[in-house]
Parts: sequence; structure tokens; C-alpha cells
Amino acid sequence: MATYAEMQEVFEDIKKDFRYDHELNGCLNCGICTATCPSAHFYDYSPREIVQLLWTENVEQIYDAMQEKIWACAQCMTCAARCPFKNSPGGLVAIMREVAIKHGFQSAREVLRPFGRVMLKLITTGNQLSPDMIQPDHFPDWGPNIQKVKGNLKTLRKAIPMRTLQTTDTAWEVSLKTSVEMYTIWEMTGVLKQLETMDENLYDVIEDFIDEKREEYEELLEEQADQD
Amino acid sequence: MIETPPQNPGDGTGIAGHGAFFQPTNLPPEQAEKATEWVRKHVDRRTLDLSERMDDVREHMWELERDGEIIVHRITDAHRPVEVKTLFGWTKKVPTLQLWHHKSCGQCGNIPGYPTSLLWTMNRFGFVPGRDYLDETDQTSCTAWNYHGSGIGNVESLAAVFLRNFHQAYVSGKQHGHDAGHFFPLVHCGTSFGNYKEIRKYLIESAELRDKVKKILGKLGRLVDGKLVIPEEIVHYSEWVHVMRNRIASELQTIDVSKLRVVMHAACHYYKMVHEDAIYDETVLGGNRTAVGTSVAQALGAQVIDYSTWYDCCGFGFRHIISEREFTRSFTIDRKIRVAREEANADVMIGIDTGCITTMDKNQWIGKAHEQNYSVPIMADIQFAALACGADPFKIVQLQWHASPCEEVVEKMGISWSQAKANFEAYLKEVEAGRIEYLYNPQLALSR
Repeated sequence: MATYAEMQEVFEDIKKDFRYDHELNGCLNCGICTATCPSAHFYDYSPREIVQLLWTENVEQIYDAMQEKIWACAQCMTCAARCPFKNSPGGLVAIMREVAIKHGFQSAREVLRPFGRVMLKLITTGNQLSPDMIQPDHFPDWGPNIQKVKGNLKTLRKAIPMRTLQTTDTAWEVSLKTSVEMYTIWEMTGVLKQLETMDENLYDVIEDFIDEKREEYEELLEEQADQD
Repeated sequence: MIETPPQNPGDGTGIAGHGAFFQPTNLPPEQAEKATEWVRKHVDRRTLDLSERMDDVREHMWELERDGEIIVHRITDAHRPVEVKTLFGWTKKVPTLQLWHHKSCGQCGNIPGYPTSLLWTMNRFGFVPGRDYLDETDQTSCTAWNYHGSGIGNVESLAAVFLRNFHQAYVSGKQHGHDAGHFFPLVHCGTSFGNYKEIRKYLIESAELRDKVKKILGKLGRLVDGKLVIPEEIVHYSEWVHVMRNRIASELQTIDVSKLRVVMHAACHYYKMVHEDAIYDETVLGGNRTAVGTSVAQALGAQVIDYSTWYDCCGFGFRHIISEREFTRSFTIDRKIRVAREEANADVMIGIDTGCITTMDKNQWIGKAHEQNYSVPIMADIQFAALACGADPFKIVQLQWHASPCEEVVEKMGISWSQAKANFEAYLKEVEAGRIEYLYNPQLALSR
């Protein structure tokens, strides 16, 4: 159990985010946000409650809401579009999620475990999903007619009349140079650090992959220099 | 007899609905009037004066350029822009030519008929690939799906990705013999569109953020004259379709769709994020809802049918579609598919975004498990438009990747699904033999 001082520190980190003042301007408790919230239909989650907890600086309840409730938000931003005070409960949730990750909450680790596949794809390739991830085996609840023409995935993708889309392990063909630039962004913005906090094994896999790709890119540059 | 409540309740019960803590202000009449006016202004978002208290971030963008801080990637006459009105009647320029296709990972990975229908439509207008549009490999996803789903990432990383991709759009014309700024980015994904607009706003408002990302962009060699490049407008592909809708109908349409009942699902991230930038048009749904998507269905002559859950999200949820699928499928069946079927008796539901189309298309079959046996064909506005203009349902519109019963609406358009499928299966043999048909010279895609 966290001490009050630790919970206070978490709250201070939320408040420190420069978006905080954009996203929280006051609250009449009107409840429009919760009335229009898809997640409020299904979960013990209310954007009005999130706003009220932050507005009243209730650090213990904020800490509690960060264990589970914030992960119910679908990030549709309907709440933000409707709020008379121009609050963005969805935007506040995004800040709280980042802080939960920064502080290495066990609850965040558990929530994000099934999302690892998307993170691996994104961080290593610059694409968030790929055709080979969306196969019937992965989504049995999508039914037997997930594709209306049966056949080899490679051939079906080759039949798409855009060169960039004729891939199976990325959504589109991303040049090696582009991917390498993206690795620099991940490093310089602390995203790899976030990942290490959340899932050390995944981080190790990604780090090895990035090293390989960088070497590959160096070799490509050398080859190009030789040709010139 | 109706009892008048006491003006100054002193019994501790307060006024109904406000609680015991409520205290009358006892303001003099003129101050009370002023205070009421202030509250109304803040509470009633539908008053037209709302725009007065909302900043148009584009004005600050021009100031930053004047101060030598950034370069604005301009929409020039060469981009043949069309002016439209947004939520508060502000003007937005939508370029119609010289476009850099900024692809969507969800579309390309899962609904490839989305971008192919768009490029096919452009080709039908006589656009020349490499001059009038470019589809290339030097771009990444916006990474916002991951951010909204997991919280991994931050404003700085989203901003650096935005600036990197849009810098590439700015310089991409060079290798094809054009000046800088020749191609203007056209964003395919709704979440990318919302995210980029939000990030542009933060970049313009925060000098600290600009300083941080400048270091990154500098390291990547992605500054121009030492400055960040920010686009004049963030433009979604559905906005291009919106401004081209009458030309699509008058110049390209070959199939009558007037008997079809169409329902629209507008993507949340198109019009609920930075909502002041979404297009509204008084000739479309009375100007009360965003015009994109609906407007092209109207222009093609389809019957646009309203339904009670129009404003609802699809249930995608970013993380939920991966790891809380019971939420996603329950919400989409209950609030979208069932309503489209029962209330609107829709022949097709059209959307303008990746996540929505995937969610609503793929989560129909599972409803049978709970006796929610509803189904509606789901596709993008541009796929529907391409079909109405005679595009092949398989080779171009790529409906083979959809799980919803798209064959039903294709047949209702008078196109033989079985014949088109047989033709496509024969074409797959050609593909296996290396004889592939392209929308553009594939060499154009390779960035140097």
C-alpha cells in the first residue's frame, strides 16, 4: 500500500503535465460526460468522477482510480466534445495512464500485458498492426467469414494494386531509414524507458531488434557509398 | 396550490438539486444579470458566440512564422484548394491536388480497399501519380493508436513523429523533380487526424515542447533552415471526398444508388477531438452534425437514414479491441449494428475511419452467441463511392477482407458478386505468375 506522500507525488506528477491546465477548467457536476460515455455503460467508470477527484485534489481516491478505472476509458473523447467547461476527462485519463506507467504500477503492467504484441510491432516497424496479426486464429470471435476469398496471404496481399501495401508483416512497407529514424525518436523521448519499466522481457527483445536494424542500415549506407 | 420556496432557506435543506451547502448570493440585480450572462456563456456550447472565446490556433501559427520560429507548409493555388466551413463558421482550406498520402496502419493492414478506392478515384479524375499524388514508403504510423490504448508514448514522441512525417511530406517532391512543399499531406486515419491536430495545437502553444522536439528533429536532419515545418491545415481524406463529392457524382458515377438506405457513422476522433476544425455544412443534416461521409452519400443520391445512436462511439477503445473484446463487441452490436438494422433498416453503414470500420465489420457474427443476430454491410464512404462509380468490388474495393455481408449491398447495386469473385480468383493466378496490375508505377513508392 502506498503512503500518503507517495500518492501525493503521483498527483503532483499528473498536475505537472503541461496539458493539465488545458484539460481541467472547472466542473459543475452536470454529468454530461458520463451520460455520453461508452465505457460508463459497461464499467464502474465515470468521467465525471475522474474530473471531480482531480478538481478536489483527492489524492487517495485519485491513486485508487489509477489502479483500474482509468483503463476502462475508450479514449473516444465524446466527454471532451460535450463538456460545458471545455474539460477533457479523456485527456486527463491519458495523463494519468502515463503517470501510472512512470511509477511502474503493477496494475498497469497487468492491464498492458495483452497489448504487448501491438507495442512490439509498433516500436520495431513503425506500424501498429499487420495483416499477419489479423488472422482467423487470433480472432475466433470474428467468425468464419473473416475473409471472403480463401488463399495464401502473400498472394492476396500481392493482389492489392498499391506497391506499399504488398506486405504481410507490416501494414505497409516502411523504408529502413524511416524505421531507424523512429528508433531515435523512441530513445530521445523516453519511450523505451517507459517500456522497460512496464515489460523488461519485451524491452530486451525490442532492444536486440533495434540493434540489428541499425547494423543493417549502416551496411546499407556503406553499400550505397561504395556504389557512388 | 403551489408553495413558493423560501428565498433564503435557513432550515439547512438547501434548494432541491443543489444540496445543503447552497447559499444565495444576494447580488444586486445588475451584478446578478452579469453573473448569469457569464454562466450562460460558459454552459451553453451551442451559442454562436462560442467561437469568440475559443482561440483559432492557426492565427498563432502565422505569428510564429513571422517571428522566424517555424515554417508553415502552405496550401497554394497549385493545390487547387476548396474552402469549407468548420463548426463555428471558420474557413478551412482543403487541397484537392498534389497530395501526399499519409497512410493508416489499420486501413492498410486490415481494410486495404480504403486507400485503393481513394487512389482509384483520383486516377479516374485523371490525376498523374508522382505529380498529382504520391504514395511512398518513407512514413510511419502516427503511433496514436498505441498511445490511446496503452499510455506508452508521450506528447514529445507524438510531436516528433508528427513533425518527422510531415517534414517528409514537405520535401518528398524533390526526388520527383518538384519544389519543396509540392505535395501536401492527406491524412487517411481518423485518429491520426485528431492526434495531429491536438499535437499541432500543443506545439504552437508551448515553446518548451518546440525546443525539446527541435533537438530530435535536428538530429534526424528534419529541420528546414533550422526550423520546424508545420502544415497550414491538417486534412483528412474524408474532407477531400467531401469537397469532391459533386464531381464524383456528376463525372464518375455510373450506378444508381437511390434505392439504397445508408446510415453514417462519423468517427469520434474526426469531430470530437479539436472539434472546432471539423467540417459542418448547412445543406448536410441541417449543419447540426459533421458533414463528411454523409455528404458524399447524399451527392450520390442514396437515401441517408438517421438513427438514434448516431453520436455514439463504435466501441473500438484502442486497447479494448485487443484485450477487452467483450466491451467492444457488446457496445458495437448494441449501440450501432442493432440500431442500424432495427431502426434504420440500413442496406449499408458507411464510416470514415479505420478503427470504426474494423470494429463494426468484424464484430457482427459473435452476436449470434447472445441471440443478437444482426448484420449490416460495413464499408468506408470512399469504398461506397468507388462502387457507385463502377470500381471492381474485389480488385479495387477489396471487399474480400470484410467480414460483414458486403455482398448483399453489391448485389443491390446491380453488380454480380459471384461473377466479380470468379474474375478475381482468376486474377489471383495472374498475380502468382507475377502479372500484377498497379494503380501507379510501383517505382514511385520507393523513397531515396
